[in-house]
Amino acid sequence: MATTATLPQINKPLAQELNPSLVEGNLSYHEVTEQVCEIVEGAVHRNWYIGFAISFSIFLMMVGMLGYQLFTGVGVWGNNAPVAWAWDITNFVFWIGIGHAGTLISAVLFLFRQKWRTSINRAAEAMTLFAVACAAIYPVMHTGRPWRTYWLFPVPNLDLNMWQNFRSPLMWDVFAISTYGSVSAVFWYMGLIPDLATLRDRAAVAGKHTRAMILGVFSLGWRFSARHWTNYEKMYLLLAAISTPLVLSVHSIVSFDFATSVIPGWHTTIFPPYFVAGAVFSGFAMVQTLLLVTRWALGLENLITSKHLDNMNKIILATGMIVGYAYATEFFIAWYSANQYERFVFFNRAFGPYWWAYALMVSCNVLSPQIFWVKSLRTNVIVTFIMSIFVNIGMWFERFVIIASSLHRDFMPSSWGYFQPSYVDICTFIGTFGFFMTLFLLFLRFIPCIALSEVKGAMAAQAHLPGHEPVKGTTPVHAGGHH
Amino acid sequence: MSGHDNLAGLTDRWYLDDSTWSKVRNALLFVALIGWIGCGAGLALDPDRFYKSYLVGFAYATFTCLGGLFFLQVMYLTGSAWSVTVRRIVEHLVAAIPACAVLFIPVVLGIHHLYEWSHVEEVSKDPILSQKSGFLNVEGFIIRGVVFFAIWSFIAWKITSQSLAQDKDQSIAHMDTASRWSAPGLVFTFLTVSLAAFDWLMSLAPHWYSTIFGLYIFAGGGWTFISTMMIICQLFRKNGILAKSITVEHYHDLGKWMFATTAFWSYIAFSQYMLIWYANLPEETIWYKIRWEGGWEVLSYLLIVGHFFFPFLVLLARGSKRNLGLMFGMAFWVLFIQYIDLYFVIMPNFYKSPAPHWLDLFGWLAPVGTVGVVFWSRFRGKALVPVGDLRLEQALGHQNI
Repeated sequence: MATTATLPQINKPLAQELNPSLVEGNLSYHEVTEQVCEIVEGAVHRNWYIGFAISFSIFLMMVGMLGYQLFTGVGVWGNNAPVAWAWDITNFVFWIGIGHAGTLISAVLFLFRQKWRTSINRAAEAMTLFAVACAAIYPVMHTGRPWRTYWLFPVPNLDLNMWQNFRSPLMWDVFAISTYGSVSAVFWYMGLIPDLATLRDRAAVAGKHTRAMILGVFSLGWRFSARHWTNYEKMYLLLAAISTPLVLSVHSIVSFDFATSVIPGWHTTIFPPYFVAGAVFSGFAMVQTLLLVTRWALGLENLITSKHLDNMNKIILATGMIVGYAYATEFFIAWYSANQYERFVFFNRAFGPYWWAYALMVSCNVLSPQIFWVKSLRTNVIVTFIMSIFVNIGMWFERFVIIASSLHRDFMPSSWGYFQPSYVDICTFIGTFGFFMTLFLLFLRFIPCIALSEVKGAMAAQAHLPGHEPVKGTTPVHAGGHH
Repeated sequence: MSGHDNLAGLTDRWYLDDSTWSKVRNALLFVALIGWIGCGAGLALDPDRFYKSYLVGFAYATFTCLGGLFFLQVMYLTGSAWSVTVRRIVEHLVAAIPACAVLFIPVVLGIHHLYEWSHVEEVSKDPILSQKSGFLNVEGFIIRGVVFFAIWSFIAWKITSQSLAQDKDQSIAHMDTASRWSAPGLVFTFLTVSLAAFDWLMSLAPHWYSTIFGLYIFAGGGWTFISTMMIICQLFRKNGILAKSITVEHYHDLGKWMFATTAFWSYIAFSQYMLIWYANLPEETIWYKIRWEGGWEVLSYLLIVGHFFFPFLVLLARGSKRNLGLMFGMAFWVLFIQYIDLYFVIMPNFYKSPAPHWLDLFGWLAPVGTVGVVFWSRFRGKALVPVGDLRLEQALGHQNI
């Protein structure tokens, strides 16, 4: 038997297969900087204005609808007994879910050393913040008196004369989501600091002093010193570790809104992990939708490559299957429980008046993602784009199915009903997309949409792997040695 | 990057001496034998108790191997490099799954001692159980068990055989094939493991149901699996085997997985408990109620502290995950407390109060010892690390930065 080990030889093509390049076109560090900074420093493209005008108009429609609702009352929505919780909570859960991809990419994939995340984390994290903003609209408006929103928080009050009910999952939501929003914002801003400093220095060199000063304030005195980087890396790791439980906790607590009840179809123990998987699923779909357009419009195909699409579609396939697993388990246990109410709700869900919503949900979330077993379809831009829309639709309907179909046939047949949204429901929901897109377009214009320093870090790490070449424009430091 | 001659792992011998191999094999055979002799005595003296104690040991051994199957597939699917150094050990553990199929036989033989729903008379008197009899019946239970083991064994064989073939030709094609099997394999693993948990453990309380139960059991299996890995690697290290190949960096990563599975189990266990407690439906709360009286509450408390708080707080720190001695001890603690968890799931269905029995020891020793023998027998003549894996160089030089 062999006593001296011989390792398999890694040649260049093998090295590519094992660890594909994260950026294409053999870029140097400087070229990456130039390409990304150009987007925020160069002239604004006409298409950006067009997109912004459309998004902002839709946003204004939302403002109008919310104003109307505010002055008239929550009755302008379609909610009515027995479906007293309808589009408001559906849309709330939908938007909260969208945010989860950002946190997963920035925190969980960081802990799992998935270096490919660096090209997409900045934009995905931005989406998290915007999605949380969209979601927050619904509970705040549903209170009917948004100026009393502070009653949600346990602050001493004289006008309520009540202490908040800490036993309510809605109360837990307030804490879960505000923690989520604030930690995500800090994490996102932390990651931005070195890039803002890059923009600051470039502005200073170009003689744009006001711009340099503003950016200087926001880059918090970052000087690219080794000490700054050491602290930064530590901070990044800690924030990633703090954010990781948030990926699980937020949607788990959202699921508690339903699962702590005794409503058949809502009360089931698998809800927390099932909701988390669904949130990640829908979040990745939204990241795909927006980034595919962004990379095409801004010519970022060399930084957001087909490898990124491939990986994200694999996550979509995996999380779609988890969601499918949850659907199947719920159905099976509803039958297995031999509880007539459980059995009825699930039968009614699939074959009752909302059968069409259920069919749409299953086909979009479980059946159609199965095409991603094929690699050529995972890397196909058009297919990915269409699928991402499908998943967005499917996941919206999932929440609608859970909420409306479980409520609309109450325990007493005399209280059965069928929910239909009002035009205010519909226009408000469409309006939130305008709000989301407005914020996203502003982000693309003012902030480097790709995390420069992180992409470069990933390029450097890649260059050290067996069989890989040094980054263009650099010389190998330890030729022949190993790190 | 060229030149890997300064990788310390390369100076390790990647094969076991025959004498070491047979010494350990004999020791494990002895342990298994003792287990089976004890079980045999138990079967003669107190068959009812034997089947109950044995079920705990069977579930313990089987779900641990299944945790390994999960891990192996995930490592292939994610293209993980760090785990290549320890992967051969995982493969051998997973290869013991067919042995678990044999271990399933006593469970089938004891079906009337274990499962209320297997008594046709009683089922016909119980309207709830009658409605479930399409699923909960003896034939279905056996057929499903056979199908589960067939699927797991097939996936395990498909993946591990690729890795062994790669030892010889170092071709990347084997890695791709193993990854391709891992994707559908993982889907089938999840579905079947959940159903197995429903079948073997949840149906001990046949009126009770919980959709998350499959994940609860699987999470525990993953936990014992990763802790078993920690112990095996460290025992190797103490005997100078793979001592430089499996570095503190790999232990750190194994420790992270121990931490992750601790947190995951706790998350699942808490979700199940909290939702049932909050909704307060008698048909669901009964499961926890019987575990909250007659002395079982001691185990309930022990699980909260010992299965969550203690390992969670210890494993949280980076320093502890890189402290080999601490991790060694922690891994043993995990193996102990997970036994308690399965005991807590199974035994209160039969006994109003905890009544430890000498058969609990032998019922555990026999299945675990058997898996140990099968696991160890696979080491003969095979490299201790996947020497043909193209990621091995990267794995040996792995660093947590």
